[in-house]
Amino acid sequence: MGSLSFMRESLAEVFGARFLRPRIQVGGSSRLRHVADAGDNGGVSGNPLFRLSIICMAAVQPLDTTIGVVTPENIAFEYQLAGPFRRLPAYLIDFAVRWVVIIGIGIAFLFFGGMMSFVSSFYGPLTEAVIVIAVFLITWFYGTIGEAYFNGRTVGKWMCGIRVIEVDGRPVSPRSALLRNLLRVADMAPVAAFNTWDPDVPPIYMIPTGIVGLVSMMMTQRMQRLGDLAAGTMVVVDERKWQLPIAKVDDARVPALASYIPGDYLITRKMARTLATYVERRHFLTPPRRREVARNLADPLIERFSFRSDIDPDLLLYALYYKTFLADSLTDPADLGPLAGYSPLAKDMGKPVGLAMPVAEQGGTPNQFADPLQSSVPNLLGVPAGGSHAPSRIAANKKADETTGGGG
Amino acid sequence: MNVAKLLEKRRVDWTELERLCEAMELRGRTDSVSVHHRGAAGVARFSTLYRAACADLALADAYQLPPNTVTYLHRLVARAHNQLYRTTSASPSGWFRILFEDAPQRIFNDGCVRVATLVFFGLFALSMVMGASEDQFPEFAERFCGSAMLEATEESFQKPLAADPDSYTARAAFYIQHNTGIGLQCFAYGILLIPCLFTLAYNAVVLGATFGYMSREGVEGSENFFEFVTAHGPFELTAIALSAGAGMRIGMGLFNTRGLSRVDSVREAGRQAVPVMAASAVMFILAAFTEGFLSPSAAPYLVKVAWSIMSSGLITLYFVILGFPKQKSEGTSLVRTARYADLRETRIAAVGGSDAT
Repeated sequence: MGSLSFMRESLAEVFGARFLRPRIQVGGSSRLRHVADAGDNGGVSGNPLFRLSIICMAAVQPLDTTIGVVTPENIAFEYQLAGPFRRLPAYLIDFAVRWVVIIGIGIAFLFFGGMMSFVSSFYGPLTEAVIVIAVFLITWFYGTIGEAYFNGRTVGKWMCGIRVIEVDGRPVSPRSALLRNLLRVADMAPVAAFNTWDPDVPPIYMIPTGIVGLVSMMMTQRMQRLGDLAAGTMVVVDERKWQLPIAKVDDARVPALASYIPGDYLITRKMARTLATYVERRHFLTPPRRREVARNLADPLIERFSFRSDIDPDLLLYALYYKTFLADSLTDPADLGPLAGYSPLAKDMGKPVGLAMPVAEQGGTPNQFADPLQSSVPNLLGVPAGGSHAPSRIAANKKADETTGGGG
Repeated sequence: MNVAKLLEKRRVDWTELERLCEAMELRGRTDSVSVHHRGAAGVARFSTLYRAACADLALADAYQLPPNTVTYLHRLVARAHNQLYRTTSASPSGWFRILFEDAPQRIFNDGCVRVATLVFFGLFALSMVMGASEDQFPEFAERFCGSAMLEATEESFQKPLAADPDSYTARAAFYIQHNTGIGLQCFAYGILLIPCLFTLAYNAVVLGATFGYMSREGVEGSENFFEFVTAHGPFELTAIALSAGAGMRIGMGLFNTRGLSRVDSVREAGRQAVPVMAASAVMFILAAFTEGFLSPSAAPYLVKVAWSIMSSGLITLYFVILGFPKQKSEGTSLVRTARYADLRETRIAAVGGSDAT
């Protein structure tokens, strides 16, 4: 549904872009730019061909193991399927648990039988019978009982954070649990014999290889083994703990820069999504990489807002994020603090300011929001200027300066 | 809109829902969270919070929530959904219906059960004949079962049957474990067809050859042997044929889809196979108790024969009386022929009936 509406919007944009504002854009833009372009109907327009390719990408199902479930409340939420490498440890844990339980019951009843044998000779065979029945029940019905009574989980599944559900998203029914656990024998086939490795041992086919189940998991869309197919179940990841992520803004320059973003700039839905994705992930990138990624989206924005060309692109996107998601109200003036009086606007570049700020020798305003790699002026916040360790980067910057400098 | 403020506001509810989920996962009830969450109040609160989280997820796009928050909501809703729509545990009446309605109906109509029964009893009879005729097939039984095993069988039945009553439960337990295990394995391999047929045929031939060998003249203990197997034979042999038939039903669903998609076909076959397998398991357990308590006992042969006849009769009644196709399943086609007079009569009856009510 989401992809469909996205497609409709994007198609309208493609045709709008084609018929209303035919402009050719030189290539060399990253995916971030594309996505943002597709949603940004006011600003830059992209190459229609590029856009078409994005639409196709969005229409195709994602190449991951996510599966959607529609609930009776008419909400579609997503599950992640569990593959063989999540399910194997769960099986091994279950195997161990099964044997621990069997041995525990055996010891308990042997003890009990030993105590009672002083009373009557009847308890010896009874103990034996109880142990044999326990072995049988636990070997064959451990998984069924676990899944039927503990909401689709056994001990191993609980520890590995996976759960069995029906393919339509309902909880697993006892009947399905029974069927899928009985058929595990077939999924474990073919069995190997001990004498494959040691010719002296008689050929007892005891070691399950699980190739049938593995092949079945690889061939089916929901990664089901044969038992799952017959019972109509699937195994999904069911994580227990997670934190609600909120990106915090701890940089004082961000609100200041955000206050300069023109009020008539309307952020589209996709632009907002792109910004959020960028800000949530920027902590994992080094500052030069952040700038490199952000530049694709920031350059047209700088042009549009008529900011100085040496503004840090990362900071600009961060400020835009702040304005979109975190700013209290659009009318409230930001508390600028020591940064008051500075302007990122291109027209203010030559203006002198009368505050106790060190003015650069050239007579222009030092740029508090500058890209530290580009600016040659020392700045207040102690961001290291220069970047002699990255010659290629500097060369790229120089080139960028040449191209953007003419416009600014 | 300030998303951070919105999240802070909603977060209180989400955290409460998470705490309720945690309590539900651990104990199956919400009592432990706080005083206000005991009993019905807790259930009501849980469903309210769940619906609120669903609404938040639905509005995530409109609120322009960041992707990570949307992921968080997906997980929260999934977790609560799992607790709200829990597995309904099996009811006794459900099992009763499976055993006494679904199973005989399936068994009566199932082609796979017929094939499995024919294969099993056909091979059993054939190898019994071949094992018995020492002149024509001199080495057959020895080759198949191994002379050591046959001699051990012969030896164990030398003495008249009079097992120590104390050991009955242990014997019954062993037979439950061993024979039902073979049956379940046969069922599971049914989805691959070939291993199931192999297990079935192997058991048929070994059992038949043993029977044939023991019925040879000059074999000691043959009387005791047949006295032993009489009582539990009907249940046990039928059960193994049934379990193989149920397994082959699933296997056929995998290979012969009959117009459905392959996955749907297997699911449908699995749904049909469970009652048959349940009936088979019940028979295995009955056979094991017979084999443990009655067969090795010193009870007179007449009792054992009587039990054997009674169990065969019960199985037949179960298959035929309960399994005979019901009226509703007869009309497979909506198009049928009828005489004009019949149609008129039924119409009048229907109109009259509705008037009367």
